[in-house]
Amino acid sequence: MSIPNTITLLLNGLTLALALGFLLIVLWQDIRKELNQFFAAFLFLVTLWNAGALLAQALSLVDRESPLVVIAISVMELGFTGSSVAAYALTAILVGTHSRRFQILAFASLLIVLGYQLFLIVNNRNLPIEITDDGSLTYRLQPISSIFYTIFSSATVYLIWRYRRKIRSRMLILGMTLFAAGQSLGFLNPELRALSISINISSIATLVTSFSILRQEFIVPLAERVTQVEAMHRVSLAISSQIAIDTVLSQITTQAAGWLDADAAGIFLNVGSELELATVSNLPERFVHSRVKLGQGIAGTVAKTHQSIRLENYRRQWRGEPDLPLADETFGSLICVPLIYGGDVIGVLMVVAGQQGRTFEREHVHLLELLGAQAAVAIAHSRLFAEQHELTRQVEAARSQLETLLLSTENPVVAVDRQFRLIFANPAATMLFSLGDDVKGMEITELVPRIALPTGYRNPLRDLRRNRVHVYEVSLEGKVYLCHLAALGRPRTMGWVAVLNDVTQLKELDRLKSEMVRMTSHDLKNPLQAAMAHLELLSDDVGRGDLSEVNITIDTIQKQLDRMNRIIGGILDLERVKSGTPTMELRSAAEMVEQTIEEMRHIAQERDVRLEAVVDTDSTFYADAEQFLRALVNLVENAIKFTADGGNVRVVVSRDEKEGIVIFKVEDDGIGIPEALQELVFDRFFRGGQRGQRGAEHVSGSGLGLNLVRMIVESHGGKVWLKSKEGEGTTFFITVPENGEFEQN
Amino acid sequence: MKVLIVEDEIAIREALGRKLRRDGFEVVLSGDGLQGLRAFHAERPDLVILDIVMPGGMDGLTVCRRIREVADTPVMMLSAQAVTEEDVVDGLNAGADEYLIKPVRLNEFVARVQALLRRAQITVSDADQGYNDGYLSIDLHRRHVHVSGKRIHLTPTEFKLIAVLLENAGRVVNQRDLLEQVWGREYIDDVYYPRVYISQLRRKIEPDAANPIYILTEHRVGYRFEKQPPVVSKHE
Repeated sequence: MSIPNTITLLLNGLTLALALGFLLIVLWQDIRKELNQFFAAFLFLVTLWNAGALLAQALSLVDRESPLVVIAISVMELGFTGSSVAAYALTAILVGTHSRRFQILAFASLLIVLGYQLFLIVNNRNLPIEITDDGSLTYRLQPISSIFYTIFSSATVYLIWRYRRKIRSRMLILGMTLFAAGQSLGFLNPELRALSISINISSIATLVTSFSILRQEFIVPLAERVTQVEAMHRVSLAISSQIAIDTVLSQITTQAAGWLDADAAGIFLNVGSELELATVSNLPERFVHSRVKLGQGIAGTVAKTHQSIRLENYRRQWRGEPDLPLADETFGSLICVPLIYGGDVIGVLMVVAGQQGRTFEREHVHLLELLGAQAAVAIAHSRLFAEQHELTRQVEAARSQLETLLLSTENPVVAVDRQFRLIFANPAATMLFSLGDDVKGMEITELVPRIALPTGYRNPLRDLRRNRVHVYEVSLEGKVYLCHLAALGRPRTMGWVAVLNDVTQLKELDRLKSEMVRMTSHDLKNPLQAAMAHLELLSDDVGRGDLSEVNITIDTIQKQLDRMNRIIGGILDLERVKSGTPTMELRSAAEMVEQTIEEMRHIAQERDVRLEAVVDTDSTFYADAEQFLRALVNLVENAIKFTADGGNVRVVVSRDEKEGIVIFKVEDDGIGIPEALQELVFDRFFRGGQRGQRGAEHVSGSGLGLNLVRMIVESHGGKVWLKSKEGEGTTFFITVPENGEFEQN
Repeated sequence: MKVLIVEDEIAIREALGRKLRRDGFEVVLSGDGLQGLRAFHAERPDLVILDIVMPGGMDGLTVCRRIREVADTPVMMLSAQAVTEEDVVDGLNAGADEYLIKPVRLNEFVARVQALLRRAQITVSDADQGYNDGYLSIDLHRRHVHVSGKRIHLTPTEFKLIAVLLENAGRVVNQRDLLEQVWGREYIDDVYYPRVYISQLRRKIEPDAANPIYILTEHRVGYRFEKQPPVVSKHE
């Protein structure tokens, strides 16, 4: 036995053993995978071929004529043919161009070749075999078989060359090419075949191929799995440590693309009925914010169906609208997975390989779905966080607004809980009730005076139930407040809040109004009563023909009517001065005083009051003569009224050069004004001798006189005040700017 | 019949005086409160007419109270001051029997004066024996009322009121009947009179004015006098 033959035998045996081993591994690993099935078939047929060859050689050494040799050779032929076809099929699977048509073709070819071989065996045609002494087998092939082998080998080599990029392992390319070459040697040259070179080369090629496939299908994926687990861990960490949504999204896309060895990746987020591209990795930035409708494009379809999509070739397999501009031109393989959180699609993650890039496998879909789940949680979380952040910000803003409002309002605001313990008091309330710093939580009854609290609880509770508010009046520190009480919290009452409105001024206005009505009523009714009574008497007298007192009666009626007229005039004057603008002219102060004296002389005479003027200046000043005269007359009239019969009233006019003012003084030696009332006499409807006050009750008037004086003087840019001592008399002062210094506004 | 008029407005004072004199009354005029009070003691009038707002440190309300301290003489307030019902009630609470608001026609004024005088002269039949339960005793003939043995003063109107209620003891006297019987036909529309006088009366005779036992209110109808079982004094 020659050395080459021994080597061949050894090699064959080894190949056989290894191939069987690989076969087992493949079958054990995953029999359902198409590639594995074809690989297993390929290995089986190569084993058959080798086994046949080995058997034939071994048998021929024992007995050349044995019919078993023929059977062995047939087996070898079967294996050879089969492996030739299987090599082609395997290649086709590897490059991914298999199709149903191809499968039918491959099986048909296989059947024809096998049928032909079977036909030869059955017909017991002696195979053209030569067995040399050293045990080499030489036999010629039938031309039909040769044609088949040639076709399949060439097809295999063509496929490998055509799709060399798809087979990323160079070793696999080498192995498959070598196998095809080895087989070709076998049928092209029987001599070489005889030397078993064909078998040897093919065996080595099978080993190489097997190793490559094992590496590609098992070792590399296993190694990848380890790195993927690590990567997954990294991704999870990276995603979950981020809060800002933009960072999270860009992390996810970058990681997804890097992880799957993809060329680009992007995330679409669900915005209502559309998807918006939110982040891209390795895609043009200008695509960001481009939108696709739900159900359109791969992304839209995925979002609508909740199902992942994997394409091996976008251009060839996708018939819908393109997801992005230029997608048809640039996209190759693609995976798109939905990002689902709480049953809703919040977006889709798309990973793309270029047209010259890799092809994604089904398991990549699973990986990406895993990442997608993580990403969905991360996106949802960061959205929730952002929403919560925004909500917190809004709540904070509203709180600070409310606080500012409560702090700055002049209305005291107090809130208590259900146990009537203080929750809140604004600065106004703190001031009003003189609250300390540590009053929160103390009972309201200990903090505020009893009069500030509602009396009883039944009425407040009933009001709160019916009208949601209970209003009561509180008098505190000389001011009157309306306290609005309302419940805090709905539907369950958590406490109550009280807002106090200062209504002191309104109350005062109300008092003034009542006072005015009362005074006007009183002042008008007395003369009215007198006039009416005398009219009745008059008509009685006339009826009886008694005319002795008619003149007196008529005179009385006349006087009473005059009085009423004066009172009404006074009220109207006040309104006129209040609403109108005075017509200012330069007037002599002395002249004013003289006119006043002139007008009041007869009244003074009536009361036996001595009325005199002291004129100490020739000053002039701007005045509305009629109004200013009215003011002076009012003061003098007042002075006469409050002076006992036989008293004195003096009107003095002088000037203060330094101040540039004219000073009028109206002095009397009458009853004087009690100190407590001096502040009040200029108020509207104040009148000396109100009920309970001792003093000048005999004076009738509208209570408007001094108010009118003040109004007139102020409209002249001046001031009016008084000095008085009870029992000794009163002096009223009026000062006005001298000589044109008054500027009419 | 002598009438005292206290009024600071001379024109009104004169007019009222002339009218009353013309109708046969004897009239005393007075210009302020203090003077009026002096005149009351000096002249012993049968009726006083008081203005409220008057000079001299003593207004009509004060004068009325001072009169009530010593006498049951009927008092009529005549004021321009009153605007609200409370003002009227204030006047009545001071002890006045009548409150007229200016301006008032002289004829009506005289009619009211006459009604008031009429009211002050109660005619009591011999059959009316009065009332005595140990706590409250009313002697209609002598016009004496005692509470817990202490004599109390009732104004003529108050006395007339309790007399009418006692006469109808146990029965409800409605507002109109009360007004007509106590004040007179002219007063039928002055529905707040009974309310004010009832509360005055309760303050004077009830043990607890807030929870009356003698004069009971029949809501929206009128009033009813309820006799109480005799109280047996522990001393007896």
